Amino acid sequence: MNWFGFLTGIATLLIIGLGFVWVIRGEYYLGHLWWPYILGLGIVLIAGSLFVPAAWGSVLMGVAGASLVWGATELKEQAIRAELGWYPYNPKPKPRPPFVETIEKWPLPHL
Amino acid sequence: MHLNWIGVTAALATFFGIWFGHVAVRKIEFVAPNVWLPALISWAGGIGLEAASFAVDSRAVSASLGILGVTLLWDGLEFWRQEKRVKEGHAPANPHNPRHARILAQYPAATTFDWLDRVPIGRRLSPEELEAIREAAP
Repeated sequence: MNWFGFLTGIATLLIIGLGFVWVIRGEYYLGHLWWPYILGLGIVLIAGSLFVPAAWGSVLMGVAGASLVWGATELKEQAIRAELGWYPYNPKPKPRPPFVETIEKWPLPHL
Repeated sequence: MHLNWIGVTAALATFFGIWFGHVAVRKIEFVAPNVWLPALISWAGGIGLEAASFAVDSRAVSASLGILGVTLLWDGLEFWRQEKRVKEGHAPANPHNPRHARILAQYPAATTFDWLDRVPIGRRLSPEELEAIREAAP
């Protein structure tokens, strides 16, 4: 009996569950324009997992990274949900990410 | 330097598992006359993958099966969550699906219009603007 996959699955469920929370909070306080930084952080985590010798550490880093990559593509939709009134909309001005003018020219990722 | 690819493998399983589930649940719930059948198939697949994850020796394969299994188990629940979105008008209803046609008749917020098919404008939409968008919808 190899429990590694089952326990990884449980951990993945928790990490994805956390994704629901941070996407909502992140969009509320930061706004969707931070998506390239979240995407980048996710890719860094996945790449970093290559250098973690322990199977557990590497797997958890990879899953967390993939969850960040997915969440980055969800920020746009969450911003629309808040603007439509389906989620609380933060009336305070959101912090502008570095290179925001460039980011605004890019198509918003959505899968 | 030795590279440990198990994390990348798990990342790919997670990302594509979520992506596939996200798209498949929406497409299947849109056309399914009853959500129980796809949900039961999804749960059976999830249980099968989890069982397989115990049986394989490779940790990378076991992890991938474990991850894809839980995403399928979650997708089973998502069929009802998606149906709830249709009732609330948060996901478009399919008038050619008898189940959705009943929802359209019974729930005033249900609509064939996709509210999310737009780009963020950077401010909260007023009730008047929401009404105008809904009026303009085909």
